[in-house]
Amino acid sequence: MDSRHPTQSQTMTEPTPEPQASAPQRGPAISIAGSSGPRPLKKGRDVGNVQLKDLNAHYGANHAVRGVSLDFDADRVTAIIGPSGCGKSTMVRCINRMHEEISGARASGQVLLDGLDLYDKAIDVVAVRRAVGMVFQKPNPFPTMSVLDNVTAGLRLTGASRGELEDRGHEALVGAGLWDEVKDRLKAPGAGLSGGQQQRLCIARALAVEPEVLLMDEPCSALDPVATLKIEELIGELKQRVTVVIVTHNMQQAARVADTTVFMLGGELVEVGPTDKMFTNPDDDRTEQYVTGKFG
Amino acid sequence: MTPTETRTQYQEELERLEASALDGLDMVSTALQRTLEAVEQQDVELAQLVVADDDRIDGRYLEVHQSLITLLATQSPVATDLRLISALLHVLKNVERMGDQCVNICKMIPLSGNEPPADPEMVKLILSMGGQARALISQAKRAFAGRDVELARDLVIQDDMVDELNRDCFRLALEIGDDADRREWAMTMLLGARAIERIADNAVDIGEQVAFVVTGLFREFEDASHPAG
Repeated sequence: MDSRHPTQSQTMTEPTPEPQASAPQRGPAISIAGSSGPRPLKKGRDVGNVQLKDLNAHYGANHAVRGVSLDFDADRVTAIIGPSGCGKSTMVRCINRMHEEISGARASGQVLLDGLDLYDKAIDVVAVRRAVGMVFQKPNPFPTMSVLDNVTAGLRLTGASRGELEDRGHEALVGAGLWDEVKDRLKAPGAGLSGGQQQRLCIARALAVEPEVLLMDEPCSALDPVATLKIEELIGELKQRVTVVIVTHNMQQAARVADTTVFMLGGELVEVGPTDKMFTNPDDDRTEQYVTGKFG
Repeated sequence: MTPTETRTQYQEELERLEASALDGLDMVSTALQRTLEAVEQQDVELAQLVVADDDRIDGRYLEVHQSLITLLATQSPVATDLRLISALLHVLKNVERMGDQCVNICKMIPLSGNEPPADPEMVKLILSMGGQARALISQAKRAFAGRDVELARDLVIQDDMVDELNRDCFRLALEIGDDADRREWAMTMLLGARAIERIADNAVDIGEQVAFVVTGLFREFEDASHPAG
């Protein structure tokens, strides 16, 4: 990133381009300015591999992420754990370039999606966020929109036809495990759903644009245990179609849902490994101390 | 970030339960000491006391076992804590089994009656085995408390001595002659020797749990089904 963008901080403050009107795409695509059109990425089980190479992120003078190099493999769930302020959310927000939306924030290093540098100047940031969806801590449906309109909000920017919107909306609601609960009230306001349903609505909204990667930042922290378990079950199903990266403070949740767990401390990556090993016999003493609750 | 210590009550409870489980080894050692005395003296009353006192060992097993299950259910232990709890559950089972072996020996003493031992040499061997088994119990406890894998591995060597004494008992039993009463006595003593040999094996099992707690890998020190060399 640095070599191609010597003024990276400027890159981060560039205004977000308006989404380009184009023919509806049945699949994730990252458009590159200057090319003849959206660049379709290969589909299949090996799509959605994310690589971080020496990623650093700052908020002004605060060096929040320090030289992290890490792979997120396709069709796997990776959990990021660590105490508050360790940089886990910042690192994840760098993957879909949300970090740069914050005033004074900057990043350096490389974020690659299937080998494509997401910080390349030729890359359309909107396409990045279409390929790398995100679900936040609190459900954030558009309050005035219906359930269906919420799900298809992102799709409409692509100029999809009404029929296609309905088809894709239905598909996304099924994928988010919400269809049976809302099929009779698709026109009702999304804000009228329960908290857990609203969060799955947001997941459906992210899925509707067929991302390759789904980032989840504390997706269950505002939900009750039943709604939490539904989301966790959903995560297990979602990994068949998207790479899932979940930031969580709940270590039991990480243990339940993740194939791979990453432990961060002080902005640095301390240890990454198979979840069962991380929670039974971690290599690093700091991981041991954290997962056993000896500090937090 | 400055880490702050947390979960002190949970850690204290875990330490208390470990101490309580390991204290069970002292209870077993005492039971074995009395068992050996009962064998040597053909003391039926002392044997009955050991049998009755096994309820205390069983009670310790149930109490600590339940508390460990509660910790698992409520505290979601992981990493070393999880391995420790898993190991303590094994230790408890071994303690309970060692106590039962003492009971098995003591229940056989009335069978041999209040008559003088038929073969003092065999009694001497059994007492020697019992003393060695008690040393193993003590060593297993020290190894666990100190997380000392080398000391734990040494239990295998000490156990070999118990096994050798057990084989000596078997040879003596074969040579004891044709008298039916003496043969019956020898068979009873052989069962007692076998029980002591199992107690020593239980101590080695505890040693294997020490290695598991420390390394995170469970490996039998010696595989009975595939003995080395």
